[in-house]
Amino acid sequence: MRKAQIGATTALALHSLCAADLATGYWLSHSLYSSSLITHPAPTLRILTVCEAPVVIVMFSWLRRDHDRCSFIKALARGLIGLPIGALINAFGAIVLGAPVGLKYWPATIYWSMLMSLFTFVPAACVFGASKLDWQQILSYSKPSNIVDYMLSVPAHGAIIGAWLGAWPMPLDWERPWQEWPICVTYGAIAGHLIGMLLSPVLIFLHRRHIRTKTE
Amino acid sequence: MRLKAAAAAVLCLHCLGVYLFTRGFLLTRTELSASSRPSDLSRCPCSSASASASASADLHLPRPGWTPPTVDRVLILVVDALRFDFVAPSSLFQHQHQHQWMDRLSSLQHVASSHPLSSRIFKAIADPPTTSLQRLKALTTGGLPTFIDVGNSFAAPAIQEDNWIHQLVTTGRRVVMMGDDTWTHLFPHHFNHSYPYPSFNVKDLHTVDNGVAQHLMPWLYREDWDVLIAHFLGVDHAGHIYGVDSQPMVQKLEQINALLQNVIDIMKSQKHLLNTMLIVMGDHAQTLNGDHGGGTSEEVETCLFAWMPRSLPSSISSIFDSSTCGLGLNGKNICTSTMQQLDFAVSISALLGIPFPFGSIGRVNPELYALSPGSWDPQWLPASFYQDPRSDLKTWKNNFAHVLCINSWQVKRYIDSYSATSVMGFPSDDLHYITKLYNEAQSRWSDSKNSPCKPENGTINEFSDFLLSFATLARSAWTEFDLKLMGVGLGIFIISIIFHLFVFERAHSLSNVYDNKTQKSSNHLQIYVAFLLVAVRAVSFLSNSYILAEGRVANFLLATTAIGSIRSSLVYGKIKKHDLVFLILIILIRFGIEKGMSKQAATNPFLNYDSGSDFDLKWLPSLFEGHDFVTLLSEVSPMIILFLLSFLSCKYITCTVDSRYIRWVVTVGTMLSYLFIATFWLSERSFAPKMVYVIGLSLFVLNFVLRYLGILEKGETVQRLRTLALVMVSAWSPTILILLGKQGPFAVLVCIFAGWSIISSKNKGLLDDFKMDPISVMQWSLLAICLFYQTGHWCTFDGLRYGAAFIGFDEFKVVRQAILLFVDTFGISHILPIFSLPFLVTIPNSSSSKGRDKTVIFLNLTQVYLLYGLITAITTTFTVLCVAIQRRHLMVWGLFAPKYVFDAIGLLLTDLLICVSALYYC
Repeated sequence: MRKAQIGATTALALHSLCAADLATGYWLSHSLYSSSLITHPAPTLRILTVCEAPVVIVMFSWLRRDHDRCSFIKALARGLIGLPIGALINAFGAIVLGAPVGLKYWPATIYWSMLMSLFTFVPAACVFGASKLDWQQILSYSKPSNIVDYMLSVPAHGAIIGAWLGAWPMPLDWERPWQEWPICVTYGAIAGHLIGMLLSPVLIFLHRRHIRTKTE
Repeated sequence: MRLKAAAAAVLCLHCLGVYLFTRGFLLTRTELSASSRPSDLSRCPCSSASASASASADLHLPRPGWTPPTVDRVLILVVDALRFDFVAPSSLFQHQHQHQWMDRLSSLQHVASSHPLSSRIFKAIADPPTTSLQRLKALTTGGLPTFIDVGNSFAAPAIQEDNWIHQLVTTGRRVVMMGDDTWTHLFPHHFNHSYPYPSFNVKDLHTVDNGVAQHLMPWLYREDWDVLIAHFLGVDHAGHIYGVDSQPMVQKLEQINALLQNVIDIMKSQKHLLNTMLIVMGDHAQTLNGDHGGGTSEEVETCLFAWMPRSLPSSISSIFDSSTCGLGLNGKNICTSTMQQLDFAVSISALLGIPFPFGSIGRVNPELYALSPGSWDPQWLPASFYQDPRSDLKTWKNNFAHVLCINSWQVKRYIDSYSATSVMGFPSDDLHYITKLYNEAQSRWSDSKNSPCKPENGTINEFSDFLLSFATLARSAWTEFDLKLMGVGLGIFIISIIFHLFVFERAHSLSNVYDNKTQKSSNHLQIYVAFLLVAVRAVSFLSNSYILAEGRVANFLLATTAIGSIRSSLVYGKIKKHDLVFLILIILIRFGIEKGMSKQAATNPFLNYDSGSDFDLKWLPSLFEGHDFVTLLSEVSPMIILFLLSFLSCKYITCTVDSRYIRWVVTVGTMLSYLFIATFWLSERSFAPKMVYVIGLSLFVLNFVLRYLGILEKGETVQRLRTLALVMVSAWSPTILILLGKQGPFAVLVCIFAGWSIISSKNKGLLDDFKMDPISVMQWSLLAICLFYQTGHWCTFDGLRYGAAFIGFDEFKVVRQAILLFVDTFGISHILPIFSLPFLVTIPNSSSSKGRDKTVIFLNLTQVYLLYGLITAITTTFTVLCVAIQRRHLMVWGLFAPKYVFDAIGLLLTDLLICVSALYYC
């Protein structure tokens, strides 16, 4: 089990890499195409997705659970397959919750769900593959045995809760451009994801200490 | 037994709370249908014997009235949303900056400064709500607008109360109207000529104004009119779109100014207009953003300008108030006065010499009255009066005192009539005081007629005193909230919630005693989650946007719980069929809600719902447009779903109900009802719906009879409860279905499947099957709200589906049609969900259903009902709280008050249905 246990600092470093990547993507879209999320949601979301995808997939493939049976390439492939599947699930969830379905929203919805998939589904797909037990475990928190579990679960839940909260300003009659779908939802998701990434090293650190005191 | 008592107690508390809060919040005024008639004057004590004789003689004249007309014609130019500082000289507002919109109506200022004795600028104070329709109603009837004008009108906008337009028509005057089509809605058959233009399109600044300008000038040269009303809308629209401080507003004012200058020139030159009074007025004002509707000084301080081409006696200056004056454009002094818009109706009636409108409570404005030449004319005074030809002023005061006397008599008559007929009259102390004032004034008046020295000033003051006191009283009764009553009502709501919580907690702990398992903590967690959802929903009512989007908010929360339950399905096994079905149903419900919202946006000015961009599934039908099978599909699909429904209910009844006879009766009744519904849709025969109602009602009554004869008592507890619930739902659903129309089968089908999904998805292996699951109850309540909006209802009075009231009946009878409308509005969102709540604790095919203790099941049922009632009570209490907080909000009458009415009725209905269910099931 090589690299099965990584420390809180490593987790923090990896998370900061993700965050820096997101920031780079945003800066790129801003400077290269002078488009922000508010003025051009779909292209900006596309750039963010393109920037984020390789980093996330490579990083979590490296952290894959079954190192012995699964090669790095296979984990990469799992991530790539997971991206559209996760996007479909996220888009479906958004539509159930009330996202608009009009034709003009389709590009933004597609790129938004890709980004959400990168925040939530793809990391777990890279790490676990199709192992049902692991998926159940990560959803139930019943046995937070592994450090990687924290790295997967906390930012993903953060992104979903953030997106959920981000949808609340949408019906208000302030008539601001950012109230459009999916702008404020994206802001909420990114904010929640970042908070989750900050929180997960802290939880890992606490978890480590807890185990240490237990063993002592 | 416990549930019955608790439900009855909660119902009583809520009734009391709703009654008190409504008394304080919803200002009610009863519209009286009586009209003033010219012959009524003979009963007025103001006229002496000879005067009344002359009045009755007047009846034979072509223009009968109460007072002689003092002007020949009146030309009323209404400029919508005219601010006072549009007209008054800017030097009056020295503490403010000079704005570009000021001093633009220079033609009026020139007239005011060059004819100080025959023209006047008034600051006219309007009573809120400052919306055009309410203002026009108040300006013509002379009354005060309130939230509920209890009248005979059933959603028809035409004015039923007495008003001066009506008086003009009955006394044979010719009225011409041009401009805003609101006038023709209010007075459909009154105008000799009318040139209405649509007022809805706010973005259109010019159509109305140009149309008025085109017709106004030719009419000024004609002589065949007595009153001409021209209503300009451009200023209002420019304010709404661009705001007051904008170039389009300045241009609009310049255009109006040129038009006014034109009118003034014509009036100066034409001989037949010499005795014509020109009135330029606003119906309300606006804020700098162009908003209006509320009661801030910016919105209520509008303007009234009056001018008489003929010169008037110079002693008029002593009548005018000269305290607020400023320098006009040409350096001359311009003085302004203040008047209440309430006084407009009676003042104009006095000027034109028509009977004062029956419901008018204003006072004839002395300054406006003095501007008419006839009021200085000694000719028409009763002969018994001592006349001093040298003193114009004295004559005028005599005349005015006489008019005020008639005015007071008319108001007193209205007070007496109102107190005798209305449900909520005035406080008796105040009435006594008012009556005393009136009697004193009257006795002084009759004294003065006989005594040689006439203290007219005293008489005028006493009558004015009476009229002003009554206006104050009426304002407080009709337009001011009673905060004390509102507070007490709210307090009772909170007490009832505490009581409700206490009872629920008792039932909950009792069930935990019976239930010796260790599932307590997880059940507590679920209760917290359920209350968190309730809290989120409740807090959302603070904002008008969330009230408008309530259906979508409920749908959002329902979807959240569904996604949460899928997550727990994943944790404890795999995703079940019903989880996915529920998600798809939520999407279907959501499209229904959005369709309803786009329908609502067409009528609701507050709802800014862009149906074109958000819900542009229009490309879907347009793909098939023109194809016959689409129309065929829309015709046939309700039938197919109806057939499916009858099949489903038949099957479920056969496999649930044990007793053969009951099974037979219920099946036949249901089948017959569905058959009649199909007949009605195919042939539009009106007997079919009546049969459906009869079958539904007789099944409902039969259920109770059987229940109390003990026939439905057989079988096991769970089985029995399920039978009872099924029979009850079968009795109600055909009626609700037919009232909902063609969308009914689909809505009921969605309702059934969503209910099935909720029931099957509860208790994720954690709890045993009969334990109450708070999340399911919460989902049940959210589903009920979603169904309300999905079936095309919304919480305003124009959202009521009036068509449903006439299914099966052609003629209108208040009680019958109101009941049908009520069942349509609350059927699928209250009656069906509450009667079907027992299904939540009686899941079929569960292994542990055998041998369960009867007490435990009833305890769970009690908990379910208590929790459902509690959820409704908490949300309604928050609605009440938000309405109380937002009572000065711009949309309080448009949005918050209707929401309060719907929620309060919904809450009382919920409590009542829970009581009925407690009687029936327990």
